Amino acid sequence: MRARVKHATSALLTLMLVLIGAVVPAAAQGKPPIRIGEINSYSGLATVYTFPYKEGLLMAAKEINDAGGVLGRPIEFIFRDDKLKPDEAVKAARELVGQEKVDFLAGCISSGVGLAISAYAKEAKTLYFATHCQTSRLTWDDGHKYVAHTTNNVNQYIRALAKKAATLPYKKWAHISPDYEYGHNVWEEFISYLKQLKPDVQVMQENWPKLGETDHSSYVTALLQSNAEAFISAVWGAQEIAFVKQARPFGLFEKVKYVSASVGNPDELDPLGKEAPVGALTPGFAWYDEGMQKRHPKLAEWVKKYETRAKKEPTLGASWGYASAYIIAEAIKRAKSAETDKVIAALGEGYEMEFPWGKVIMRGCDMQAIPPQWTGVVKMNAQGKPVLADIEESHGKDVIRSCDEVAKLRALAAEKKK
Amino acid sequence: MRPAAGLGLLALALAVAPLALPPFFLQLLTEIAIVGLFATAFNLLMGFGGMVSFGHAAYFALGAYTAALLVKRAGVPLLLALPAAPVVAAAGALLFGVFIVRLSHTYFAMLSLAFAQIVFTVIFKWKALTGGDDGLLDVWPPGLLKSPAAYYYFTLAIVGLCIVALHAIVDSPFGYALKAVRENPRRARYIGIDVRRHQLAAFVISGAFSGVAGGLFAFYNGSVFPDFAYFTKSFEPLVVALLGGVQSFFGPLAGALGFKILEWMISRQWPVYWPLFLGSIVIVVIVLLPAGFVGLVRGLPWRTRPPAKA
Amino acid sequence: MSWITNGPLITVQVMSGLSVGMLLFLVSVGMSLIFGVTRIVNLAHGCFYMVGAYLMVTLVEILPDRPWAFWVALLLAPLGVAALGGVIEIGLLRLIYRRDPLMQLILTFGLILVIGTLVLLAWGPDNKSVSRPEALAGSVRIFGQPFPSYYVLVLALAPLTAVALWLVFYRTRWGMLVRAATVDREMLGALGVNVAALYTQVFVFGSWLAGFGGALAAPTVAVALGMDGDVLTTAFVVVVIGGLGSFAGSFIGALLVGLLQSFGILVFPAVSIVLLFAIMAVVLIVRPWGLLGRPDA
Repeated sequence: MRARVKHATSALLTLMLVLIGAVVPAAAQGKPPIRIGEINSYSGLATVYTFPYKEGLLMAAKEINDAGGVLGRPIEFIFRDDKLKPDEAVKAARELVGQEKVDFLAGCISSGVGLAISAYAKEAKTLYFATHCQTSRLTWDDGHKYVAHTTNNVNQYIRALAKKAATLPYKKWAHISPDYEYGHNVWEEFISYLKQLKPDVQVMQENWPKLGETDHSSYVTALLQSNAEAFISAVWGAQEIAFVKQARPFGLFEKVKYVSASVGNPDELDPLGKEAPVGALTPGFAWYDEGMQKRHPKLAEWVKKYETRAKKEPTLGASWGYASAYIIAEAIKRAKSAETDKVIAALGEGYEMEFPWGKVIMRGCDMQAIPPQWTGVVKMNAQGKPVLADIEESHGKDVIRSCDEVAKLRALAAEKKK
Repeated sequence: MRPAAGLGLLALALAVAPLALPPFFLQLLTEIAIVGLFATAFNLLMGFGGMVSFGHAAYFALGAYTAALLVKRAGVPLLLALPAAPVVAAAGALLFGVFIVRLSHTYFAMLSLAFAQIVFTVIFKWKALTGGDDGLLDVWPPGLLKSPAAYYYFTLAIVGLCIVALHAIVDSPFGYALKAVRENPRRARYIGIDVRRHQLAAFVISGAFSGVAGGLFAFYNGSVFPDFAYFTKSFEPLVVALLGGVQSFFGPLAGALGFKILEWMISRQWPVYWPLFLGSIVIVVIVLLPAGFVGLVRGLPWRTRPPAKA
Repeated sequence: MSWITNGPLITVQVMSGLSVGMLLFLVSVGMSLIFGVTRIVNLAHGCFYMVGAYLMVTLVEILPDRPWAFWVALLLAPLGVAALGGVIEIGLLRLIYRRDPLMQLILTFGLILVIGTLVLLAWGPDNKSVSRPEALAGSVRIFGQPFPSYYVLVLALAPLTAVALWLVFYRTRWGMLVRAATVDREMLGALGVNVAALYTQVFVFGSWLAGFGGALAAPTVAVALGMDGDVLTTAFVVVVIGGLGSFAGSFIGALLVGLLQSFGILVFPAVSIVLLFAIMAVVLIVRPWGLLGRPDA
């Protein structure tokens, strides 16, 4: 036993010395660039979204730096992986703020991670720009002055979808949503807004498969028996691909109109190929659409630049990454400083930016981004590839909750916490 | 170097660390201490008791949520909430342990996993109480303990106390009886040791200290999430203990230090490759473990039959 | 739930459940077999399923776009997985034969991480898909209700596979050795059988089965990272319920779980996630060796 204690102790001591040794050289740093610590999921199954997002982010950063940077300083992103775990994200945030001494934090794809980083940012009094994750809670229920959201939130794009759905001749609705925060969020936003616009809407059935469910045949049967005329799906990603593949041969999409929160995204449409649900109504970034490119003349050029860089077609996430970098840069520019409080003040005043796909408003009262919204219908193009067509464009500002409503949400949430 | 001098030097190094190290590294050390405690508690069961549990994350999570809920919802101060963590974790360990220790070996592991997944699902779905997958946020220690150095000392103190307690348990007659049970349950029974009772007690103690680790982690992290109970978290103390050496009491602590530093260094450079690295480390450690561990392990394939049904 | 008296609908739902159960059987029986002979719970089994599906994707892509391509891919993909299984068994598992099976189990956990990353590196992060072959892309009518034709294939293939497996285990010498090994390996070794070679063969055969399950299932699900975790958890529950090491147990367990998943949500919507693990816990508590397993394991 003594020998083992001795060995273990020596090992511990050695490791501690190594630790100290590793730290000392790393301590001193000169910092002309503006450094932003970006925390996201760069390993595992979220990479299908985060890799294109990162390409967009870095493409924008390069453009900004080539044009002279922000306030004459280059902008630099330092990346960390959160392994899809909120506590890893907090750890990374601590390192970035405490050790790397970044000026700002950014990132997230999972809402849980976003909320965790936001809570840390509030504690550490560091400004956090939430990027890819979409929960409305970030800037509303759990919002505070140290968190801004540079992309879409669920409230906006689901309401835009509901607005379009309200124009369809369907009164009897059902849904299928994964049983977790996001799924509940989508359904609640959708149905409450739909009922607002169309009070005679009836909910025929609710389906809550677990997140990551592989076999949906019983849900398909349930939907077929529900007497619903239409249904909305908050199921996404690989799960939605499986759902669509399983539902098709049962003839579900012929019987009940399919509205989806995400099937228009290429990560789902492309693998589905000829099994894609033609006729489905869904939001999506249809940069290839003729109408889109006519309305937004700079879009085609942006796409080409992205494809040259990333060797792949852009996704919605890529556009978010791109926009986020510019939004962060703009906030710093307007503040004429990289100091946290000044940038928060600049964000508080709000501003607008033009992107190749339209105008994004950064709203002052909640530091929430309000981008353009699109809905489209899945169709097969001439090459037999599924795409979105009949794109209708609107803007988040037409549907987003007002500043007053946000204030009420925050007050309500604060009450609950007491 | 004599062990006492070695330990003394180590204690000194830990005590002055805040003077030499930047805050982030203090936080890293804090996390290492917590993981070290979790792994040592786990190893009470594995190394000394000969029982491998795949569901220890459940007790860690129970501890974390208990402490967090008491502070957030009931306004209980941290110093009272933290002791509640091991109590609830121990209760959970008792409730599940009663069933788990009746099994042996692979079945023991599988049932422990099943219970842990149930705990995870309950936490995930019981939104009203636990916040579901949104977790509980803003669970920070009170003003005095908030700074990295303060919480570091606090954690070291608690973890230190727990390690001393665990060491006393391992070195006590109970601990020796436990090791006897691990080596040869039948012989242990013949000399009058109540095998089941000892195993269950070890399970509950292990669960309780895992709960302390969970509680400490809740305030360190500032938020709690259901994935604290997910089975991948259960593998963390296992890997750490294996790495450090399950045959020694301090092995898991050394393992925690080495593992966390390795994880930090590799994950920041090559995040995509970290799982590959971790998996390889696990494989290498198992393949290359010294004969000493095999000697320990040869004691493991005992098969204790379920008690004859009366 | 007025459909509960709807005969044709119930029939179709049952058949769906059975199809899913059959795919599950292919994965589970391999896991059960490996445990029965080597006493290792192979946690990397889900990875074999995943690699089988990914290989299907690649094979279908590189083969010419003809009707026979799908079937050739279905034949070749599991062979690739079997090769992988062989490499793992010979290269790694053999090194730790004498160790406690729990250590070997932990090693297979390490394998999950390694194989998962390798799949990401080889195929990239994007979701993939395998289309059903033209002939089986639509549906047939069962008592007037639509039923996917592809599931008909699964329902036809699965009993065939089960019968084939039964023949192998109960009518061939090799099968007899395998069954003997599940009862008493040491005796088998004492009788002069090369147990090490048998282990390898069983592991390869088990991985082949998982790969076949993955390849066959590929057109019904998304081929994506993380699919190994889903199937592993369910297969785990199946083998526990059916009994580790029992061939018939895997069959019955898989059918039960398939049907449960099919009907579970319709009858107990709120509880279904916990249900599987709760059942697994109950089985382990009441009868750890499962419905048809052997008590000494």
